Amino acid sequence: MNAITPTAPVLPAPVGLLAELTHRCPLRCPYCSNPLELDRRSGELDTATWQRVLTEAAALGVLHVHLSGGEPTARNDIVEITQTCAKLGLYSNLITSGVGGALAKLDALYDVGLDHVQLSVQGVDAANAEKIGGLKNAQPQKFAFAERVTQLGLPLTLNSVIHRGNIHEVEGFIDLAVKLGAKRLEVAHTQYYGWAYVNRAALMPNKAEVDRSIRIVEAARERLKGQLVIDLVVPDYYAKYPKACAGGWGRKLMNVTPAGKVLPCHAAETIKHLEFWYVTDHSLGDIWANSPAFTAYRGTDWMQEPCRSCDRREKDWGGCRCQALALAGDAAATDPACSLSPLHAKVRDLATEEAAETPPDYTYRTIGSNVQPNVRSPLSEDVSL
Amino acid sequence: MTAPFPTPVADETQRLLSPDELAAALRDIGARRYHNLHPFHRLLHDGKLNKDQVRAWALNRYYYQAMIPIKDAAVLARMEDAALRRIWRQRIVDHDGDAPGDGGIERWLKLAEGVGFSRDYVESTQGILSATRFSVDAYVHFVKERSLLEAIASSLTEMFSPTIISERVAGMLKNYDFITKDTLAYFDKRLTQAPRDADFALDYVQQHATTPELQRQAMAALTFKCNVLWTQLDALYFAYVAPGLTPPDAWTPGTGLVPETTTAQAAGTGTLGPHDVPRLPRGVRLRHDTVRGEHVLLAPERTFDLDANAVAVLEYVDGSRTVRDIAGLLAEKFTADRAVIESDILVMLNDLATKRVLER
Repeated sequence: MNAITPTAPVLPAPVGLLAELTHRCPLRCPYCSNPLELDRRSGELDTATWQRVLTEAAALGVLHVHLSGGEPTARNDIVEITQTCAKLGLYSNLITSGVGGALAKLDALYDVGLDHVQLSVQGVDAANAEKIGGLKNAQPQKFAFAERVTQLGLPLTLNSVIHRGNIHEVEGFIDLAVKLGAKRLEVAHTQYYGWAYVNRAALMPNKAEVDRSIRIVEAARERLKGQLVIDLVVPDYYAKYPKACAGGWGRKLMNVTPAGKVLPCHAAETIKHLEFWYVTDHSLGDIWANSPAFTAYRGTDWMQEPCRSCDRREKDWGGCRCQALALAGDAAATDPACSLSPLHAKVRDLATEEAAETPPDYTYRTIGSNVQPNVRSPLSEDVSL
Repeated sequence: MTAPFPTPVADETQRLLSPDELAAALRDIGARRYHNLHPFHRLLHDGKLNKDQVRAWALNRYYYQAMIPIKDAAVLARMEDAALRRIWRQRIVDHDGDAPGDGGIERWLKLAEGVGFSRDYVESTQGILSATRFSVDAYVHFVKERSLLEAIASSLTEMFSPTIISERVAGMLKNYDFITKDTLAYFDKRLTQAPRDADFALDYVQQHATTPELQRQAMAALTFKCNVLWTQLDALYFAYVAPGLTPPDAWTPGTGLVPETTTAQAAGTGTLGPHDVPRLPRGVRLRHDTVRGEHVLLAPERTFDLDANAVAVLEYVDGSRTVRDIAGLLAEKFTADRAVIESDILVMLNDLATKRVLER
């Protein structure tokens, strides 16, 4: 592997830290970005370690901390951890399902200086939303939580992950965001990693539905300008160029798992040959600069054609390494989401084919499961073209 | 005829130059007189101009763009050879397009709109400097009155334009956050059109400047054209950089622009005016980033990099001062015109309000 040297002259400082405080969550969404092997409570980092990690992050140049999970409010020390962010000047963003104990802790979080709340909504229609999230009575809890967020004057973002089970509700998500007083709405088409990869055939919408959802968002942006900001993430498989995953490998983001493993993105563990370092063994700065997982695909030296000579190589950084591995069988290949990848047409056909079939049942996420992905690959012969 | 533009090479030699020597002599004129050397262009490309100075440039330069097809039609009208006309008419097509919404003039209007102008105001040319009008008109008269050789030779500044265009596009994209690749689409086309046109014109001049006197005329024509371009920048510099003496009736900042928040008004959320009190809501914080040594505005799921001007404004946003108060403080601090500052900061604050990171 042609990794850049740790002493490379311009190593940008990370701007964001995704702190996956726990994998525990009352919801069981079939597109969860957590890995298939979820960390158990007994293996989670303790409060003092998280506080040290946050201190190191601030010194390193991190500006935003995304307190995530699982459900971050499932941690008993969520208030202390948030307070540490505030003391360090770190911008704290709570990424929550709003169910379980979330509402009970919200006022305390506000008091210690929480900056922003991102609340997930699985659907607009309660029955549909609760089927997707796998938890009864979740919807009213979410609405009550959102109401308290805006009452307190905290900025609220609604996050809706879009797939074939709710793509007909995109207008509804926009109306809901306005009704709940959100300033931002994320209309994020599912990215097919983790549990979403396992459930791809159950989740993949067809191209016409995707196009329609994009038109709805564009019209609403114009109509609601100055009132609601709508961020749109389009699905990779139907895109022309891939996204700059995590802003480029090892360029902007660090992701710390509940057990303290540090990843360049939340799905990076699917690349089995990478060596990840733990915050319990190394400082965050050392990991950012020197850990093999971060240096492996940083910059452009590792690229193959067509990325290597492409003039977009420093725009999208070759797309997503995890997707390259999952779809092309090689983590250093061009992300097949890119129209310049030789596999792109097959990937798109695969998506089209899956979207046309009757969706299988969801495989809900659970801790201690032994799920093996059984997903069709564009490399295998059984893909009819 | 007396020589109004002495050109050293021909005067010294008084002999017929070979085609290559002639090309070199013409290039030498560009190397010394082309407007990429003008201080105004250095400022433009290096990001040293403010938004209003870039606007002044875009507005004035529009008149030049708009008159180019008229100039080329005048040249065309003097060509007796159909083959020649067929080649030359491509220039008119390039500028006017084949249909509404197409062509170089349209792309320049897009550029002007991209920096905030209303299209009608730009097309009216009512705000341009008189010096711009005089220079451009002189060019049109020149091609009507002088020989066809001189008319064609005067177009040879196109030999030098690919350099300036590359510098300009790279410099402007890098240095001005209000300039996008789309705004500069005009120059994409010119990168291929200009060399094609220049190749033809150079070839024509080399073939038809068959005596020392004709060669001298061709060089004088190119010098004249360089001066047409240079003079326009002198005028812009004088009016909008230093000493900043804007003639009566010429454009002043704040006029001819499209209000940036029209759509927010339509949505009923209202626009920030001079008497409103802006504030940063909870969840939006101005912070000095000690690691990178710069100020940033931290907001939900995003970070805004701030330039020194934006920091100066936001440091006065305290939830009790009005926009006018803030403009007054800044005018004192920077000894600048309060009205100009007020109109600039209203644009900036309304932009942040549209992004939901500023409220009143």
